[in-house]
Amino acid sequence: MSEKAVREIFEALFALTDLRQIFRETKPTYKLNDEQRKKVREIVESVRQSLDVIEKELIR
Amino acid sequence: MRNIIDDIEIRAREELFINIHPIQPGGRLTPEAMKAMIAYGDGYSTCDWCRKPFRLDKIKRPPIEEFHIELAEFLGMDQARVVPGARRGFQAVVSSLVEKGDSVIVSSLAHYTEFLAVEDAGGIVKEVPLNEKNIVTAEATARKIEEVKKETGKLPKLIMIDHFDYMFGNEHDVYGIAKVAKEYDIPFLCNCAYSIGVMPINGKEIGADFLVGSGHKSFASPAPSGIVASTKEWADIVFRTTQMIGDVTKRKFGIKEVEMLGCTLMGANLIAMMASFPAIKERVKHWDEEVRKINYLMDEFLKIEGNKVLSEMPRKHTLTKVDTTESFDKIARTHKRRGFFFSDELRDRKIVGEFAGATRTWKLNTYGLTWDQIRYLAQAFQDIAKKYGINIIK
Repeated sequence: MSEKAVREIFEALFALTDLRQIFRETKPTYKLNDEQRKKVREIVESVRQSLDVIEKELIR
Repeated sequence: MRNIIDDIEIRAREELFINIHPIQPGGRLTPEAMKAMIAYGDGYSTCDWCRKPFRLDKIKRPPIEEFHIELAEFLGMDQARVVPGARRGFQAVVSSLVEKGDSVIVSSLAHYTEFLAVEDAGGIVKEVPLNEKNIVTAEATARKIEEVKKETGKLPKLIMIDHFDYMFGNEHDVYGIAKVAKEYDIPFLCNCAYSIGVMPINGKEIGADFLVGSGHKSFASPAPSGIVASTKEWADIVFRTTQMIGDVTKRKFGIKEVEMLGCTLMGANLIAMMASFPAIKERVKHWDEEVRKINYLMDEFLKIEGNKVLSEMPRKHTLTKVDTTESFDKIARTHKRRGFFFSDELRDRKIVGEFAGATRTWKLNTYGLTWDQIRYLAQAFQDIAKKYGINIIK
């Protein structure tokens, strides 16, 4: 267990919060523009990376 | 969707629906505030670095002291404190200035917590009547002061008027009222619960001695949260520190402010306010756009035959009262779901926040909706009207 994993928990939660904001801005049709799509891709990738770090630190 | 525990469901209406609730939109959190809630939710989270003089507004890490200074500057006032809701701001000022039997001038559209704050201090509210447009004017306020003076032989101790009221979202003549207050040498509290945090507000320009704001109404902050700000002339009175000494222990707590009951708004609520502050400073610059959106919506809304807007027009605020007695209520009278037919139709279109079942007079607020969402909303109202045979005026 390391500080790194804890940091990544917050990174992931904050990234998901930004994703939550995109839902708020595009409801109820969720028609995303190019910029929003790009942001979603970045968020998803960032969360994946955080989870990888957490998994590596805690389980492997 | 799973619950948090047992019967506490996840609240996802801001993600799933367009929420037109009259008092919720301005308090909707920024992403930064949501992150603050995640990181600072623990009880005494703001107290990790509390050092001498051991008072909330003096804490430097996180920069709570700096926030207080910047908040006062942002409002054009000399001092500011955060409090658990606007009501605690009214209470702090009224409790400092008003004694038993004193009169306090309030609006005929005053929020009930203004009444309670006056009652708590033993004072008596004296309401300024509205004009034909449901506005509180400077002239009417001056007349009320004269009435009180004649009736009681004393001037009121405080004038407390809402900048925008909760009922119509109308703007009241707080600039003119501040001048009247100066002429009579009566302190003036401007209730900006519906304006601080959504539009530019400068207490000095208004001429107010006190400003009160609401975090959860208009400052993208969780409840309860609020602001009370003062000019330097009154700060020593409202933010006076304790003089009390324990008779046995001789303990004293000199730095603590009596009206604040020491530390006020701690933990996640305060940090969320602070986290929203940069976005607030930016968003108030775009208030004109918010006003354009509500006026566009009302123009479209009024194309539905029988619809009326009860608030002042053109709109100066996104909180608006409408009357659909001659349109949607006509349908409700014979519909098996009565007024709930309208709520059902809105919900089917992913719109919530109207007063469920109300089809006569009701309120809505469009603050923070995007233009796409505004156009969607306008179309939804017209689609519902068309579905039930209500004429749309071209």
